[in-house]
Amino acid sequence: MRWRVWLDRLIVLVILLAAWQAGSLWLGNYWLSSPWAVATRFVASLLNGEMLFHASYTINEALIGCVIGGVPAVLLPFLLRRQPIVVAILDPFMVGGYGAPKLAFAPLFILWFGIGIESKIALVAAVVFFIVYFSTLSGVRALEPKLVQMAQVVGANERQVGRHIVFPGAVPAIFAGFRIAVPYAIGGAVIAELISSNRGLGYLVQTGAMNFDTTQVFVAIVAATIIVHAFIAVVDLGERFLLRWRPRGASLIVDHGT
Amino acid sequence: MAAPMLDIKELGKRFPARTGREPPPWIIQGMSFSVAAGELLTIVGPSGAGKSTLLNIIAQIDNASAGEIVFDGERIAGSDVKALHPGLNRRIGYVTQDDNLLPWRTTIDNVLFPCEVQGTLDDAARARAQELIGAVGLTGFERYYPHELSGGMRKRAALIRTLVYDPPMILMDEPFAAVDAQTRTQLQQDLLRLWSLKRKTILFVTHDITEAIALGDRSLVLTQRPARIAAEHPIPIPRPRNVKDIFAMPNFATIYERIRADVQ
Repeated sequence: MRWRVWLDRLIVLVILLAAWQAGSLWLGNYWLSSPWAVATRFVASLLNGEMLFHASYTINEALIGCVIGGVPAVLLPFLLRRQPIVVAILDPFMVGGYGAPKLAFAPLFILWFGIGIESKIALVAAVVFFIVYFSTLSGVRALEPKLVQMAQVVGANERQVGRHIVFPGAVPAIFAGFRIAVPYAIGGAVIAELISSNRGLGYLVQTGAMNFDTTQVFVAIVAATIIVHAFIAVVDLGERFLLRWRPRGASLIVDHGT
Repeated sequence: MAAPMLDIKELGKRFPARTGREPPPWIIQGMSFSVAAGELLTIVGPSGAGKSTLLNIIAQIDNASAGEIVFDGERIAGSDVKALHPGLNRRIGYVTQDDNLLPWRTTIDNVLFPCEVQGTLDDAARARAQELIGAVGLTGFERYYPHELSGGMRKRAALIRTLVYDPPMILMDEPFAAVDAQTRTQLQQDLLRLWSLKRKTILFVTHDITEAIALGDRSLVLTQRPARIAAEHPIPIPRPRNVKDIFAMPNFATIYERIRADVQ
């Protein structure tokens, strides 16, 4: 059945490209670049190193931002597991941070951290942190008290309960958080570059738009999309390895069985 | 008679009142009994009679509201004992109704979990685990995850996870209730064989009268809530017993009738 899925995907892709091509013919190449033009430019930019130059910058921002935002977001719910009052105190602020439009902070970050890579990393980290924090928190809270009691009865201390019961139980939620956060991380990096930068996919979008070069805008968007796919594939790979104990096709919520 | 392993005196339990509500009813009230060292005592009671609550209190997962518990000469619950020590420093094992296997650990790693957290995971522990796995017929399934095992296999894994660290007393809360009749008979036979080798002190709670007779040296019957001891029945069926043919024992029917009359 697997080849069938891939075949159907290919059909959908062809339909999308055909629609795009038709739209481009209808509206004119000037307004809507054609898939063919985008593909040739994409390959050309790959060959002359321009793509690597810009994409690697964006990938770096996204990766470093994911680490800086993601690591504390994973650790915090574990550290606060025994402090429900602190979690409750922090809650409205976390919800505020989660709900605030982070992209609107981009100009501020540029003001604070300069137009270099730091401001982009800061934006990505801010976006990733709240998504992963709430996802991890839900995983820590979904903890099965009976498993904790079992562990305590056989002699596990608090630290061991955290390591052997709470953490493995929360891993699916952590991965779910990163999976949701990845597109936002790439998007955040691109937007920050759009506002002020001299390198990166966002810079390509910006300069392309300024020169009425829609082909270049599309090349950058396609590249960003491919990067998101690659990031998610890496997350999936890690998830499949760490969650090999799960029955195939299991839902996000861990089934602790009866 | 030697001092009992476990002595329960006038035990009472009610859950804390919610603000603005009537004080909650007693779940357990004025319950007294004792378990001798090496005894397999079964407790029969209707569903919802507070059997699990009783075992949770003895296992020190939950606290008592009244009365006291003396374990091996030491007061572990009473008006002057405040802090709970789940499992009482590994001296009380607890096989719960749910198997509570860790889904992210294989059978062998689940069985060895107590040794791992107790810092006693050595070659001797591994050998012991392997022996127990063989004794309950799980050989070949060491590297399987819980979701890949049948219900009966999971029960066996949970049972030997408690046996592997050898606590002097083991509490069992209807551990075989959720499996089919044939598997249950096999599990009961496994338990009797393992018990005959080690003579642990076991407190086995069930709602199944046949199971209480097949396993126990003695059987206590609980009342409806609030739970108290309604009656005590010695089970004079010689060991070793064959669980499959327990019905055919000459005094089985008499004992069964007597217990059934006391179970409300």
